[in-house]
Amino acid sequence: MARKKQRLVLRFPVGTVDEPITYTLIKEYDVMINILNADITPGREGNLLVEISGEKDSVDGAMRYLKGKSVEISPIIKTILFNQSECIHCGACASVCFPGALIMDTESRELRFSPENCVACELCIKACPLQLFELNFGVN
Amino acid sequence: MKRSFQEINEKIRRGKAVVLTAEEVAAMGKDHSPAEVAEKVDVVTTATFGPMCSSGMFINTGHANPPIRMERATLNGVPVFTGIAAVDLYIGATENHPENPAYGGAHIIEELIAGEDVELEAHAKGTDCYPLKDIKTTINRENINEMIMFNPRNAYQNYPVAVNTSNRIKYTYMGSLLPRLGNANFSTSGELSPLLNDPDMRTIGMGTRIFLGGTTGYISWYGTQFKTDAELNEHGVPVSNAATLAVIGDASKMSPEFIKAAYYEKYGVSMFVGIGVPIPVLDEEMAARLMIRNEQITTRILDYGDPDHPELGRTNYRELMSGEIELNQKKIKTASLSSIFQARKIADILKKQISEGIFLLTEPVEVFPKNKGLNSLDIR
Repeated sequence: MARKKQRLVLRFPVGTVDEPITYTLIKEYDVMINILNADITPGREGNLLVEISGEKDSVDGAMRYLKGKSVEISPIIKTILFNQSECIHCGACASVCFPGALIMDTESRELRFSPENCVACELCIKACPLQLFELNFGVN
Repeated sequence: MKRSFQEINEKIRRGKAVVLTAEEVAAMGKDHSPAEVAEKVDVVTTATFGPMCSSGMFINTGHANPPIRMERATLNGVPVFTGIAAVDLYIGATENHPENPAYGGAHIIEELIAGEDVELEAHAKGTDCYPLKDIKTTINRENINEMIMFNPRNAYQNYPVAVNTSNRIKYTYMGSLLPRLGNANFSTSGELSPLLNDPDMRTIGMGTRIFLGGTTGYISWYGTQFKTDAELNEHGVPVSNAATLAVIGDASKMSPEFIKAAYYEKYGVSMFVGIGVPIPVLDEEMAARLMIRNEQITTRILDYGDPDHPELGRTNYRELMSGEIELNQKKIKTASLSSIFQARKIADILKKQISEGIFLLTEPVEVFPKNKGLNSLDIR
């Protein structure tokens, strides 16, 4: 069976925020959910940035369940490109990078970039004084 | 153990001087006394590589035929200062292109240092001796006369940490400050920083030969906003911005690796300047100063979310360098705006040059003022 991994922004309409949706996804659809960012206030719309992985059928089933709950699903197709060879290792990007994709090595004082942790929040684009980051719109 | 500049230079000439970086001597300080350090070490190299707005470069373009007395001029569209002699210009690092705020004087300086062509456009009223009224041409490092970097204020002795308690992201010269204490930015190389290793400025003064932007430069004066009345901590270092340096050097010999244009979102253009200062271990007292460690250097945490920048607390450079500080029971991610990586590179280069006998130390021609405060600008 093929495995599938997807990064999605889930927008919850008013009313669904109180439902245990992630519980159902894990329990009923057997998918792994990594919550990368959450902005949910009871009684209002909520946004969840997640990485869903599992067997292809499970992930597809989870998607059908979410759509049935009127959850708006937008796959992340943005990625950040980093012109790393020009980096001067100041760290201005590291302090704004909440998912930990840009980390200053405390020993070598070199900046490390782990694209797999990047959620394309774009904060580094404005933070870098050398303007070494750019947004890439690819197809997921 | 006491030694003079002359004795140290004699050792350097013979290739016998023992040179360590400030980080190495800080580490050595953990199990050596100041007397032992003074016994073993002759010179300590310090360095910083941070964004320093008060920077710029004089150039002399050479005279055209017929000649022009430039009254308004731009380089790649960036206005430059012409209020001096006919073809002398000063490129201010923070001057920006009128249509492109992310491009400015610092970029022009970096491009000229890199040997690239830059478009010069200048206008004048025309005089009997300088009849030409308009000129448009390209200049580069090879076809102009001088490129003299002169920075009125660099290498701040210490600098406060910036945080933001407001509910909006603040874009500042201290970088992007996330709302509700989302991050903390600082900008000093800590135990590697030149003026924190000689806080009384016994050896750093006018005429001190330094590493500047990849070549040899000099400290030409104390920097603007230089002050000596800042509060000191128990290790004798100021807990806030205090002394500064004005520096000068031949930019035609500099390297774009150590002079880098910067742009801070919604703030403007600035310039990373690489500076290295060698400090002679004249005696035990000097050794004790040079052994200072990050945890012994205090700095204030200021709230840039409030226009008055109130102090919220204090921290030290060991905590700041760890990547996290604690403030108001909250763990806050830290980052440096100055590059420790590059500062280390500079300290190592200077160490190598001194060890190989190609970089000699200079005794200050004059020491810096001992009592200097600052005025603020009253609005009358």
